[in-house]
Amino acid sequence: MDNRLLGLFLVFAPLSLLSFGGGQAIVADIQYQTVELRGYLTNQEFADMFAISRAAPGPSTLIAALIGYHVAGLTGALVACFAIYVPSSLLVYGVSNWWQRNKGSPLKSAIERGLAPVAVGLIFAGALAVIRAAKVGPLEIATILLCCALFYFTKVSPYLVVLSAAAAFAAAFLIR
Amino acid sequence: MSDGESAQTHTEAAPLADVFWSFLKIGGSAFGGSTQAMMHREVVERRKWVSDEAFLAGLAISQVLPGANPVNLALYMGMKARGGPGAVVAVTAMIIPAFCIIMLMGYGYRQFSGLPITHFILGGVAAVGIGATLAVGAKVSSKLPRDVLTFLIGLTVFLAVGVFRWPMLPVVAIAVPLSIGLAWLHVRGAK
Repeated sequence: MDNRLLGLFLVFAPLSLLSFGGGQAIVADIQYQTVELRGYLTNQEFADMFAISRAAPGPSTLIAALIGYHVAGLTGALVACFAIYVPSSLLVYGVSNWWQRNKGSPLKSAIERGLAPVAVGLIFAGALAVIRAAKVGPLEIATILLCCALFYFTKVSPYLVVLSAAAAFAAAFLIR
Repeated sequence: MSDGESAQTHTEAAPLADVFWSFLKIGGSAFGGSTQAMMHREVVERRKWVSDEAFLAGLAISQVLPGANPVNLALYMGMKARGGPGAVVAVTAMIIPAFCIIMLMGYGYRQFSGLPITHFILGGVAAVGIGATLAVGAKVSSKLPRDVLTFLIGLTVFLAVGVFRWPMLPVVAIAVPLSIGLAWLHVRGAK
């Protein structure tokens, strides 16, 4: 049990510092470490956790708390939550003062410009990791494409889309 | 940090209990609403802990640095309201509502994970999540500078982490300094 708590901490604390733009950037490595490296979850469970974290309100990094809960109960959730938020928070805390003192610094524009393509690469890698972990059939592919277009072109509420998809899939399951 | 602070903000006085309640409220409103708008109304307009200018700086920092956007925002605003303790209290209060809800969902998942329909429905929800992730990736991509190096960095990170499944830490540890260095040369060159 204690090994699992330490393991959760070791998975999420380094990823905290890599979560550019939030939880989506680190999804690929969470899958790799919790499923393939440490065997805490099956691919099915990982895909389910990803789904739940997307349906829940609040930051998508809370997938860490969800995985922590599944692996080691409430203590696991708290440890994972601590690990995913404290390192990045310390960094933000440290950088904030410097940031405001150096308003027009070229280094700031270089950091913003330089981080963006890395974040984009990580976001697409995360999407691919979940596609690989989930059982993706024709119905799921259609949903992915439809939702991608919906979220790209409209400002529809994500909760409405999640609820509609859940209802549609429940109906599809019962009909077939 | 004093130049970002105008006279109408009273920072030293913010009691930690006020910080806690404000951010618990903002955290609780995370359902559907815009956290940024809610945050602005509370800390700039109502409580006057933060000036407009400092609020904008906080938005930029929260987006650029790693960490969940709303959590970083809460940390920054809490820090402005009441220093280090304010930051700790703001982040904790901000996370509590969403943490409780996701624990309930995790508990529910344990109860129903034996049923095949659970996985099927969650498969549909995961598909929505993948679609949303791709849309975010596409939106951010469309704002990237149109040059070959930027494209190559994004593509290389995607291939390394997504396709070849290399561990993320070393990949990012190499890609980030390299990418910022190249951007630095570009920024300097543009002057």
